[in-house]
Amino acid sequence: MLEVSGLSVDYVLDRGNVRAVDDVSFTVGRGEFLGIVGESGCGKSTLLFAVAQLLSPPAVVAGGSVLFQGTNLVGLTDDQLSAVRWRDMSVVMQSAMNALNPVTSIGAQFKDAMRAHGKYSAEEITARSAEVLRMVGIDPVHLRSFSHQLSGGMRQRAMIAMALLFTPDLVIMDEPTSALDVVAQRSLMVQIKELQQAFGFAVIFVTHDMSLISHFSDRLMVMYAGQVDELGVTRQIFDKPLHPYTQGLLEAFPSIHGPRVPLKGIPGNPPSLASPPSGCRFHPRCPSAFDRCPAVAPDLYPVGETLVRCLLHENGSPSR
Amino acid sequence: MTEPGANASPPPKAELLRTEHLTRHFKIGGALSRRTLHAVDDVSFAISEREIVALAGESGSGKSTIARVLARIYKPTSGEAYFEGKPLSGIRSRRDALRYSGLVPMVFQDPFASINPVFRIQHGMLRCLKLHRPELPASQRLAEAARVFEVVGLNPDMLGRFPYELSGGQRQRVGFAQALAMRPKLILADEPVSMLDVSIRIGLLNLMAKLRDEEGVSILYITHDIASARYVADRLIVMYAGQIAETGPIDDVLTHPRHPYTQLLLSAVPDPRAPLSVAAETDRGEPPKVVDPAPGCRFRWRCPLAIDTCEQVTPQLAELRPGHDAACHVAQTSAEEVKAFL
Repeated sequence: MLEVSGLSVDYVLDRGNVRAVDDVSFTVGRGEFLGIVGESGCGKSTLLFAVAQLLSPPAVVAGGSVLFQGTNLVGLTDDQLSAVRWRDMSVVMQSAMNALNPVTSIGAQFKDAMRAHGKYSAEEITARSAEVLRMVGIDPVHLRSFSHQLSGGMRQRAMIAMALLFTPDLVIMDEPTSALDVVAQRSLMVQIKELQQAFGFAVIFVTHDMSLISHFSDRLMVMYAGQVDELGVTRQIFDKPLHPYTQGLLEAFPSIHGPRVPLKGIPGNPPSLASPPSGCRFHPRCPSAFDRCPAVAPDLYPVGETLVRCLLHENGSPSR
Repeated sequence: MTEPGANASPPPKAELLRTEHLTRHFKIGGALSRRTLHAVDDVSFAISEREIVALAGESGSGKSTIARVLARIYKPTSGEAYFEGKPLSGIRSRRDALRYSGLVPMVFQDPFASINPVFRIQHGMLRCLKLHRPELPASQRLAEAARVFEVVGLNPDMLGRFPYELSGGQRQRVGFAQALAMRPKLILADEPVSMLDVSIRIGLLNLMAKLRDEEGVSILYITHDIASARYVADRLIVMYAGQIAETGPIDDVLTHPRHPYTQLLLSAVPDPRAPLSVAAETDRGEPPKVVDPAPGCRFRWRCPLAIDTCEQVTPQLAELRPGHDAACHVAQTSAEEVKAFL
């Protein structure tokens, strides 16, 4: 349904271009849940914005295409895009605290969205608004509430309700749970999954917290320094991570079960995208780096069903 | 790192800090409003030497307010905190206040907002040393700053850099270095890793364990991340709606959670290594009402086990296992362990 191929995004700056997203390709099938994980500055949010064509200068798409239901979204005008956006593809932003308008009621914002994307009578708007709020478990009386009267979890649910106004085929979520605490986070994740199963929309879910989506996403894409490092079935990646970065990320989480073991995390810091390291971008922090890593930029190599950008797997062998 | 079970019978350690019925209320609304937000209500706990105590709870549970009372940013509405046996309200002179803030410094959540961006890193370090360690000659301050930087795992060259040149993890280490430069006994760390990337967090947690084990510093580690608390802390205090729900040795609390809220919290922690727990799915994670609360358990609206007593009587902490207290009527009256969410 969504086919992203060779997508690159540059930030055009005075001192030269910075490539934030470098040649990223992936597909999302109907009703699929794709998780995208990575650290801050790895380009995951920029990638989402590029897919939704919401980039604003200095960011520009430098190459590649975003095929959504057969239409290439790259290069469409705003008018053409507005026919697709929200109706077929909607976006849930990171911080509901800032994404909702504080000076109008929730209902008025729902009305704005519906008016902007179609002709509806006042009754239709009220009925549909109440319906989507009920879907996410909020009492429709809150249509008359303002965002400050809702808790963080409810605001985030209201944002999701707004994204579902037109029963889209694809919902893009950028860290929707990052401002919530664990209990609210878990409850929201379960709800997203239930809604997805009930209405069959596809989800692209961006997060920095790999453990969060372990039980919810079908496929997982790990990004590092603007590139895809590993892409495969979520369960397989968790059971057998191939890229040393993915392995490091998984080992960086303390568990609340089992024995307490000392963890190391990943040494060093994520690289600056303005001057990425030569060869493999992860080699300065990689415990398994060998002599070719600083020299040869690895491709994405298939290992079973997984794609991995690491020279250790150049020949498709799953050795570590 | 303490072995699991090893802290079932902890060796007697000297008590460093103790709070007794610590309470902090805030007036909310306009000038005519009589409404009061009970941010912290009747909280008593103690921190010993060489101990990391994790203070966990959801946002709005009063964790940060406790840290701010202990840092003397807020005065308690009632109750008292004692440091080395002396009440904080007895600190009146500037000298005493400086001495206390040097012994009990704070490390803040946001490493991007807590360092002055217009000065070099050494500026804050040298000021700490000048203010809090007047006995140290000016010529030795830079050497001492470099020594502390090495303890926290920073290259002393960074003293000459500006904050924008440092990553989030490095800045947070600067925060710990500034605290350590004052020769503290207790560091109040308010969510010190929550703004950092996952791959960086473990390094900071290991640093906290190192400060305890090698420098003999106690840490009050405020967090909403139970898994990271388990990784470094010796004891756990679970806060709910301004009150302590459960407290005890961390492994005992996590393996035998007696308060339903602790059980809910644990069931919600995402763990890729464990199968998906189906519990707690009906719970919406709504924060509790702490504006002018009536007596009764503040968790009762979310609690599947609530009984009539919970409506009328505020539960008090009672010891249910060695050193492990919970404030729950149901857990206190039933012989076997009751599971509400696990």
